Amino acid sequence: MDGKIERILAYLIATIFLVVGVVCYAAFPNKAPEEPIRLMLQSSAGKILFDHKEHSSEAGYDLSCTDCHHNMEEDETPSSCGECHEPESEDPIKRSEAFHLQCKGCHDDSGSGPVECSECHVM
Amino acid sequence: MHSQKLFIGSHAPYFHNGNSVASKSYNIMFAALPAVGMGIYQYGIPALAVITFSISCAMLWELIMNIAMKRPISIGDGDAAAIGLILAMLLPATTPWWIVLTGTFLAIVIGKQIFGGLGCNPFNPVLVAFAILMLSWKNYLDFDAALLNYDLGFKMLYPLGALKHFGINAIGDFTSQGLLMGQQIGGIGASCGLGLIIGGLYLILRGYIRWEIVFSFLIGIFVTALLYNISDPDKYAAPMFHLLTGYTLIGAFFLATEDSSSPVNLVPMLLYGAGAGIFTVLIRNIGAFVDGVVLAVLIFNVANPLLDKIRPKALGKGI
Repeated sequence: MDGKIERILAYLIATIFLVVGVVCYAAFPNKAPEEPIRLMLQSSAGKILFDHKEHSSEAGYDLSCTDCHHNMEEDETPSSCGECHEPESEDPIKRSEAFHLQCKGCHDDSGSGPVECSECHVM
Repeated sequence: MHSQKLFIGSHAPYFHNGNSVASKSYNIMFAALPAVGMGIYQYGIPALAVITFSISCAMLWELIMNIAMKRPISIGDGDAAAIGLILAMLLPATTPWWIVLTGTFLAIVIGKQIFGGLGCNPFNPVLVAFAILMLSWKNYLDFDAALLNYDLGFKMLYPLGALKHFGINAIGDFTSQGLLMGQQIGGIGASCGLGLIIGGLYLILRGYIRWEIVFSFLIGIFVTALLYNISDPDKYAAPMFHLLTGYTLIGAFFLATEDSSSPVNLVPMLLYGAGAGIFTVLIRNIGAFVDGVVLAVLIFNVANPLLDKIRPKALGKGI
């Protein structure tokens, strides 16, 4: 290929790809679905990957929404845990305590699921 | 492009075989298509956004540097586009635009142009950029955190992360066949093993990359992983798992083989590939990072000039 043709081709590729890239970024922003699939919970003891879909779906553990979202009214969209349970609060109990009670409590009761720190927390 | 014959001098006129830097770059991009295509199929438009934006940004940085440094315009050789594409292949599909913009800046400006441009870079520019991004914004490049909103019908856990954090029991669901077919989360163009192998073999057969580096790298990983696996099968994963996960295959075919940062003689190539392979598994098994390919290849980029001191004996020397 001639150098000039190569350069023109490169300008063409750069321009087209720039337009496609910008349009794709603008038109398809990363949006979380209404019902989460997985959640990455951040904590000072390491992040925790929580598979929401596996817990709620029929093919998974088939839990009902109210099993975890305890203050939920009928036909109401569940609010996220962190909306009430803030990282540093007394009333209601703080976020880490709520998660430990809810997650570990259920795992203990059902005799399945992780209960050791390193089985959930990842640094 | 590579011949086992030693250098043979002859008189002019010479014949040009028609090959050029541009044809090499475009062939590399062509070879990457199967893996990239699979990535776009799996992750959709966001993956296309990262790839196209990365290629165009890399070319623009190259153009800006050409103009700023008053050098001939070199984006026509396609090297910047290939760097942009390979960098995008390593990134998760949800990478924000500003990380792509920064990453391509790091690759083209810091990794390549400040050393003098094509052929002068001591490190693979893609790896320089990726290593800096990996250390700077690790949450954006953590595949488990980045791909939370995807459900592709297989186990949505980054295999090497699962192994590192939760041990060998956590990787029981991954089969070699599934991993080869791309049933794992990872970089846009780094998770479909079969696509990478097809592209890599094409590059080897066309002579654009050296098989010595590719195979010694893969053998280095296989043997080291096998030794670990034999020493404690309950703790260390089998060698096939290491070969088919993370950046192993993209590293073997597209990263370790970069011209300017890899050796040219036979023994140095074998040492370079094997060393990077061994270090990859060492970092994965006993190091702090989940995947070791990026840092292992970078380390051996540093060792490259030293390794290339091992040369065939000069004719007549030692008689």
